[in-house]
Amino acid sequence: MLLKRLKSIYKPSSVLLLSLFAAVGAVAGAAATDCPEAESEALQWLDRMSRSLRQVSYQGVVTLQRGDEMQVMQISHTVDGGISSERLTELTGQGAQVERDYHPVECVHPGDRLLRLEALSPADRCGITMHYRFTLADDERVAGRNTVRIKIEPRDMYRFGYMMALDRETGILLKSQIISHGHQVLETMQFADLSYADVQGAPGELALAEVEAANAASDSIAVVHEAEHSHNEAAQSVHSVARAWVVGWLPRGFSATDASLGNSGRRTYTDGLSVFSVFLEDLNIEIKPGEGLVRQGGTITYTRGLDIAGQPVLVTVIGEVPANTARMVANSVSWVK
Amino acid sequence: MNERMRESLSALMDDEANELELERVLSQLGSEPELRQTWSRYNLARNAVQGDQLAHLDWDISGRVQSALESSNTSSAFSAHAARDGYKNRLLRPLISVGVAASVALTVVIGGQQLAGLENPDAYGADQSVAANPSPVGILNIAGAVPLPASYGTAPAVPQLQPAVRTAYEDLAQQRLRKYMQQHAEQAALNSPQGLVPFARVPEIRE
Repeated sequence: MLLKRLKSIYKPSSVLLLSLFAAVGAVAGAAATDCPEAESEALQWLDRMSRSLRQVSYQGVVTLQRGDEMQVMQISHTVDGGISSERLTELTGQGAQVERDYHPVECVHPGDRLLRLEALSPADRCGITMHYRFTLADDERVAGRNTVRIKIEPRDMYRFGYMMALDRETGILLKSQIISHGHQVLETMQFADLSYADVQGAPGELALAEVEAANAASDSIAVVHEAEHSHNEAAQSVHSVARAWVVGWLPRGFSATDASLGNSGRRTYTDGLSVFSVFLEDLNIEIKPGEGLVRQGGTITYTRGLDIAGQPVLVTVIGEVPANTARMVANSVSWVK
Repeated sequence: MNERMRESLSALMDDEANELELERVLSQLGSEPELRQTWSRYNLARNAVQGDQLAHLDWDISGRVQSALESSNTSSAFSAHAARDGYKNRLLRPLISVGVAASVALTVVIGGQQLAGLENPDAYGADQSVAANPSPVGILNIAGAVPLPASYGTAPAVPQLQPAVRTAYEDLAQQRLRKYMQQHAEQAALNSPQGLVPFARVPEIRE
């Protein structure tokens, strides 16, 4: 029951937009003086991880554990001629498939730049080391591979911590845990099985073909979704509100992931590791002020009903941040005068 | 009120504040009307979620809490951690109730799970005035409880009540999760180092 498949076409204009976006803001390394100390080897691995995702072809089985729930999925990633293609097929739950084809390797997003220790604004010139403490931890084997483990602790209460394990040979992220302020593991993503294709392209195609074959053999794929990769497309799927609005407060180090502005109903921010989105709806009825919270592992959905200058609205913050951060962000939404 | 204070307030609401922040907030609650307003606004929202018990308490409670805080600081019987938990249980609960009492006056009556305004007609055609009837649990009613529509004309003497705002906002958050998680995952997949894995957090992936 394979449903309609949406194919998007790689547009040169979107890459231009990306590079323009990337050009905004000064670029300064973390080597600048009076930046907090960080273990340089850990930072080098971080940089390598952010680049490896665009250079290495691999496939494997990944598990995502949140509380008692475990989701299992098959992942393939191929890089060929400067274009990367990715596919995620859920083996449990809904059984959906997500694809992202034709993603140019030079298409670098704000999250990547933050991991490469670039500062997206002059005020934030020490980059991600201002907001997290990076140290190397004892090695661990993941999916039969030797890894380098990086302990990532937040320097404030607005973001969670992480424990990451990278393949010692390739820098690919093999295991990632979201850790609360109470040092509880909220979510664990890890590879259970992993195989690399030769870097030279053609075997990568083979890997993809194998996944295709596995997919063809299985009738269980309920839906295929084509993931977005340009800001233009992302903007199209978002609702809009009647007035232009702004988020007045962000935790330090968070930058917008795209150029969503004005009336667009969504804003998304990242500090390179954590991502959260703010959704605004203007309502045509009055509501009683209040808030509601749903936690799923490290992800919260926080909905707040309030009145901004006489207009009842619902603000929803979704992301991998503490509830306190979501509340403060929701509290800071206002109309543009 | 400075930003730091606002942050401390919010942290306090989440039980994420440390003792220093707690003391700082308490010492200023008495002197800053704006801080008190923010505090009660946060509490209004929080109470709606948690359905805490209401209580009538005066603002001078903060002074009493502060002295309690000081006296428990001198106690060495607690480990640091136990003392911190102790603060939360013994001190924050009454504070939260204070905020709630202050917030009752701000409360707007609302009918039904859908958080619609009063002008919305009851789908079952039940008499709207039932909602306004005084009942033994009157104050709970003001704080957001809603009567369930009576069936077959056998109206109970006391309307059945449920904490409407609390459940309504939890429902709203659940709905928004289903509505928006995929849009969030699109951005997370491009801006965090996990590739497409953020999509596995979407309850129902749409085309």
